[in-house]
Amino acid sequence: MARYVLRRALQSLYAVLMLLLIVFAMTRLTGDPTNQYLPLSASPQARADFAALHGFNDPYYVQFIHYVSDLAHGDFGQSLFKQRPAMEVALEAFPITLTLAFFTMSIALVLSIVLGSLAAMRPNGLFDRMISPLTIFTASAPTFWVALVAIFVFAMMLGWVPTSGMGTPVHWILPVCVLVLTPLGVLTQVVRSSMVSSLSAPYAKTALAKGASDARVVFVHALRNSLLPLITIAGVQATGLVNGAVVIETIFGFPGIGKVMIDSIRDRDFSLTIACILLAAVVVYAMNVAIDIMYARLDPRVQIGGEARR
Amino acid sequence: MANRLRTRQALGATLLASAVVLGFGAPALAQQNDAITVVQEQEPDTLDPCELTKKNVGMVIRENIVETVTEINQQTGKVDPRLAESWSTIDDTTWRFKLRPGVKFHDGKPLNAAAFIQAFKRMMDPNLSCSNRVLYFEGMGVDLTAVDDLTVDVKTPQPSPIMPVLMSMVGIESPATDAHTLVRNPVGTGPYRLVEWASGRSITTERNPDYWGEKPQVGKVTYVFREEPAVRAAMVANGEADISPVIAPQDATNKDTDHSYLNSETVRLRFDIGKPPLDDIRVREAINYALDRQAMLGTVFSASWQPAKNMVMPTINGYNDAVPFWPYDPDKARALIAEARAAGVPVDNEILLIVNNGSPGGTEAPTVMIEMLKDAGLNVRLQILESAEFYKFFYKPFGDGQPANILFESHDNNSGDAGFTLVGKYASWGGTSKLNDAEVDSEIKRGLAATDPERGEIFRDVFKKVHDMAVDAVLYHQTTDTRIGPRITYTPTAATNQELQISQIQFK
Repeated sequence: MARYVLRRALQSLYAVLMLLLIVFAMTRLTGDPTNQYLPLSASPQARADFAALHGFNDPYYVQFIHYVSDLAHGDFGQSLFKQRPAMEVALEAFPITLTLAFFTMSIALVLSIVLGSLAAMRPNGLFDRMISPLTIFTASAPTFWVALVAIFVFAMMLGWVPTSGMGTPVHWILPVCVLVLTPLGVLTQVVRSSMVSSLSAPYAKTALAKGASDARVVFVHALRNSLLPLITIAGVQATGLVNGAVVIETIFGFPGIGKVMIDSIRDRDFSLTIACILLAAVVVYAMNVAIDIMYARLDPRVQIGGEARR
Repeated sequence: MANRLRTRQALGATLLASAVVLGFGAPALAQQNDAITVVQEQEPDTLDPCELTKKNVGMVIRENIVETVTEINQQTGKVDPRLAESWSTIDDTTWRFKLRPGVKFHDGKPLNAAAFIQAFKRMMDPNLSCSNRVLYFEGMGVDLTAVDDLTVDVKTPQPSPIMPVLMSMVGIESPATDAHTLVRNPVGTGPYRLVEWASGRSITTERNPDYWGEKPQVGKVTYVFREEPAVRAAMVANGEADISPVIAPQDATNKDTDHSYLNSETVRLRFDIGKPPLDDIRVREAINYALDRQAMLGTVFSASWQPAKNMVMPTINGYNDAVPFWPYDPDKARALIAEARAAGVPVDNEILLIVNNGSPGGTEAPTVMIEMLKDAGLNVRLQILESAEFYKFFYKPFGDGQPANILFESHDNNSGDAGFTLVGKYASWGGTSKLNDAEVDSEIKRGLAATDPERGEIFRDVFKKVHDMAVDAVLYHQTTDTRIGPRITYTPTAATNQELQISQIQFK
């Protein structure tokens, strides 16, 4: 296992370096931030001085060499707009996003397993017919709209929760509930369909024939086999969340990584954009390793770190 | 595995249940008696005094934490004393400022000539990207000398009649302020001092008990940041915040709490006056006649905007009320274009209408304008550009190969003086000016060197002249909507989207 993690880490290092090169090139392609940063009436001389001070006039490869050599010293550069170390800004925002993602995915996983399994027990039964349209709706409703409607209903009309902000645990309810809807809808559909196929497998029928209860067959026998597709899709959803729930963060005023990243792209704050992307990339790689390990735990046929018995 | 899953299930269910229970019990956030909450669009990047002319920074610190040398009175447009008690001219190129005695910074240090000079030098340091310098002082060669402990002479190589106006952009911070980096913890002389900046969440300030002036009513201020305008409006409506200086026009639906005010921004269409067919005055006049400015209000632009005839607000020195509005006259527009065509002007050449994405009016407004111009007989195509591309058309140097264009732009001047506007928009050396006219140039120069009342007269003449030349199509003065909660009273001014003086807020 340790060898596997190490090997993946090395592979990831290579990938992160490639990512760095691509992101660096792409940020530079979006233009000189001078006009973005200086006020409208700044003189051409002031613009030229500013560009020279920050090296925006240098050829791209010179800028890249400077960046990488700073990086080698652990310096991710200075955020142009915030006038603070870029990594400091990114690290400040990241825990908020991770916390949001953790609560969202935990709730979405638990609820989707319960709802999806119940729906699969009686395919086309009443519960299934109720759950399916509902989950399709939550999976496809635009988050932006849902968030504004939720604020209007739960904060303004009913007064149960504050409109926005992140001061107390109460402040987290609305954003997490809105954020949960999309993964919940998608994952419930996944659990339902894989559970339906698991339950029609011979081993499930055997268990039923031997007198096991419905619940036991579903949650003990079939669930484990239905988890593999769930983990795959949940991994994709979680990756999206870790990259920042931009819309939710913006609407509810959560200073997470998504909002920082989008602002930095808009402001051409190159160092900050790269710091955010690198940080997110590292976490995404770590999550992929974790998912691989989970796969092996769930399915004995999958072996990591060595030759898989296929 | 099944056990583990059951444990996780239970954990998730507990979390959800507790979330729901907490939700039902949540009261509206109660406010401390003399505390208020301000909800702004964006968090500032720094709180450095040398950046106080930046909107996000100024909203928090300007005249609250850090005070300026002088202050523009938004009602009269005149310059009022602030940290300077009085000022006078010594000779053509020297102004003498007398500082207010007995003023102390929040750290206990006294305000004196040395502190003023140090703060000014810090702002002028090219290693600090101070927007106050870049906007107002770059390349001016200002020299400050202390005459005595509270008197400073400000000398410039050229006469600078508006130095008192410029000094309203200069904040004075404690001499202990870091000279090498922009600061996040400003120490000034203002009625409020910084308590905490919880990055990404809020900024808190409290009343300065040692303030030299009148004691303000508000004891504590919390600034929070929400980008979504509907959320800002909802927060004030819900009692979570007391004031949102900027809300969206479509959210300003409550007459009791929502106020609309001229925000000192003016929009125009800038003509590429050197390129055919826009080099012909008949074509430029035709565009002005072809635009139905009244019809676009309340449809594609906010209903509260006001038609404009100068590029500055009426309260600005130099505004010329005698300049006529361009009437909507599509027949005359068509006739002028036909006349130009007959005279050999290539009126069928394509003209680009350049608009920055995110401009007020969205894509609808330029689309409507293009229809009006097509109706007059012009060949105009819409080009909506992202900022970096837009700026290539907006700023000098303009690329040689740029096609003839009309550019939709917004310009802000709340300095009290039309000088900045005339230079920027109409002088041949102006950063975003397309005009190159020797007579206009020399008039602007003469005006800049003059003091009132002559200064105002000259500026009024320039506005008349550029109107008669149809240099541009001045469109509207923009307004901002602000929402003020029921606990407080506050009268918004043209500066409210740049600064919010908490000392002007009172409880009902």
